Order: sequence, then structure tokens, then C-alpha cells
Amino acid sequence: MFLSDLDFSSPVPIYRQVIYLIKLEILSGRLRDGDQLPTIRELAKILKLNPNTVAKAYYTLENERFIESKRGSGNWVNYKKAKLDSLRRGMVEDEFRSFLETALSIGATIEDIKNLLKRYSDNDRKNR
Amino acid sequence: MTEKIVEVENLKLNIGRKKILDNTSLELQKGESVVIAGRNGSGKTTFLKCLANVIFPDQGSIKFSEEVPPEKIGYISDQLSLFENYTVKKGIDFHASVFHIEDFDYTLIKELKLDLNQKIKNLSAGERTLFHLSLILAQEPEILLIDEIIHVIDPYLREKFLEAVIDLMDRCQATVVMVNHTFSEIEKIPERVLVMEKGQFILDEKSETLGEKLKKVVSEAEISDEVPRIFQRELSYFREYFVYPFNEELRKKFPYDYKNTRLNEIIKAFVGGQYVKKGNQ
Repeated sequence: MFLSDLDFSSPVPIYRQVIYLIKLEILSGRLRDGDQLPTIRELAKILKLNPNTVAKAYYTLENERFIESKRGSGNWVNYKKAKLDSLRRGMVEDEFRSFLETALSIGATIEDIKNLLKRYSDNDRKNR
Repeated sequence: MTEKIVEVENLKLNIGRKKILDNTSLELQKGESVVIAGRNGSGKTTFLKCLANVIFPDQGSIKFSEEVPPEKIGYISDQLSLFENYTVKKGIDFHASVFHIEDFDYTLIKELKLDLNQKIKNLSAGERTLFHLSLILAQEPEILLIDEIIHVIDPYLREKFLEAVIDLMDRCQATVVMVNHTFSEIEKIPERVLVMEKGQFILDEKSETLGEKLKKVVSEAEISDEVPRIFQRELSYFREYFVYPFNEELRKKFPYDYKNTRLNEIIKAFVGGQYVKKGNQ
């Protein structure tokens, strides 16, 4: 768990990147509702981060109601299913927007992208 | 709540005629972790030694808060010699008796697979560093000063070293000051980045905002003088400018390609380039 893809040079603060990482783990099903998260100290050691950074990420995730921290016993994944769907939509849209920016910047048209999408969905149907 | 743990005011130190520290001032908060970068001879190690009470400045003052007695200041460097003729075991026992440590934590020593009957002078540079770290950690320091040692340790021990430091930060809310030449491994640990030049701190930024405020422009032609920069260098085919402080207004006014930059790159440019004094900005 937790592939280290944190990028110091990114304008996105590290604690935001940690939040993103954990949300990815949740969406992909590697972290399930009710699972225990590593302690702040453990995760800081795994990712070679300042413990304060991890604490800030956990605190934010708790406020956003993805995890629950129980005093003395650690942090647990805890979310409502509806919340996951809106998170997924948001993240897919973010990824799509950045893909679109790259594609348009190297000269693709919206038409190209539509064709691409059609080709992939046809393939997908064939494979099922 | 922040709580000041040390206040350094106007340190001056000359060696011969050379100014090593020149009115150097700094405040550190409890639990803060800081990295000090800068080229060789810029005064980093001297500054750290002053903090560690190893050398005394000619002028200026260093005030620690009351909760930091001298034995709670840990200083690690690769130049230290420690009970060279002792065995590892004897070194640990001696250290524990001097500092009244009852149950010495052998975890690191075990992970290193150190032979307790080996003489300390026969340890490798990396083993010696980790041995030294385990002595210091046993004192549960309030302040840990780490002087350019990460590069002498192999990657495995380096990981162990960093884990031990992170552990201390979380367990004891220790304040950590690192002086470094290599950054890729530690760049996510410090919350604050300082750059030293000629005995003064020329950059003091929170890591979180450093990425937004410091950008790199690579260009064949010279860029406008009005773009503020902290340093620049000329390479054979192009010039590099490290723009600081950067803001989005600047991008509108001078539409260069402002790139994000890593700590390592900043330091490389700094060491090989030319520091642009504040007066020119």
C-alpha cells in the first residue's frame, strides 16, 4: 500500500498529495470502510515525511468525513457510499481536464478526442 | 501554539580575517524541522556548532528556553571522535552512566548488526554515525542538530537513520536542524528551508510555500532585470534564473516559462551560480 508518488516540486502542498493518495487507496478498494490506517508515525516513516504533514492530512480527511480517529486507538476508514461516488466523479473529472489540456496543447481537436473515446468504448464492448 | 525554543541574535565569528558568521540571527520554534543549505564555506557548520555549544561566537547571543538543558541538545557530525578505543558495548555503558540512562534502546544497534565487542575506531563511517545517533536518541533530545552526514551513509542505513529521526520528531516533538548537501531523500521532512551565504541567511521560507514562491526560468537570452531573482547562472547554451519572490502577477507582466523546481536544483544553481544581492532586485 501507499506507493510513494509524492512530488516536492509540485505546487500542490505535500499534505494535499497525501490526502489524494489515501483517497485513491479508498476509491480503488485497497482501503475499505472500517480498515485501520497506519499511525501518523508509521506513515511518516514509510513516506519519509514530517509527522506534522501526515497529521494535517489525517485531520483534513476527518473533517471531510473519510476517516474517523478514535482517541487512543488510531485512525479508521469510515465513509458513506454516496460520498465515494461524488469523490469518484470529482477525481475523474480532474484527471479528464488535465488530459484535455495536454491533448489540446499538442494540437488535438475535440473531434479527435471523441473518436478516441468511441474507439475505446467499442473495444471495451467487444472484450466483454 | 508556537513556543520559541531558541533565539540566536547577531552572531559574529571570524577565523583569522575571514568573516564566517556575519550578524547571523535565527529563531526556532519547538517541534520545528529546518534544513540549512548553502555552498561550502558559507558558515552552515560553524553556525550549527555554535548552536551545539561546541564553539563560541566572538559576539552575539544564543538563548535556549528553560526546558533545554545542555544534555538535551544532540549534535551529530561525521567529524566527531567518540571513545575511539572503547568497544561498542563499553561506549554505550559509559554514555548511559554519564547521562543517567537506565534502559538503553538497542533497536538501532541490533538493526545495524553491530558487534558489541568491536572497537569504535574500527566501525565504518556509516556505522559510526548510526552508533552516535543511537547514543543521542537515548537522551531524548529536545533539539537535534545533524551536520552533513546523510551522504556518508549507505541507502539502507540512511533509511534507518531518517526513520529514527522521524520517530523522534513525533515521539518527543523534537526540533530538528539539518545541514545538507543532498536533498532528494530529506526534502519532504523540513517545514522550513534556509539558505546561507557568507554567514547570513538569505532565504528563509516555509517548505509549503517555497514551490509557489521560487520558480526557474531557462532562457537563451537574458530576461528582464525587473524579474526578481535570488540567483542565476550562465551555462554554455542557456541561462538559468531562479525567480524569487514569484507571484502570478509577474507571469502576466513577463510571460516567461516559469518552471517548478526541486530543492536539489535550487542548491546546485546556488553553489554553481551567482547570488544576486537584494539591492539589485
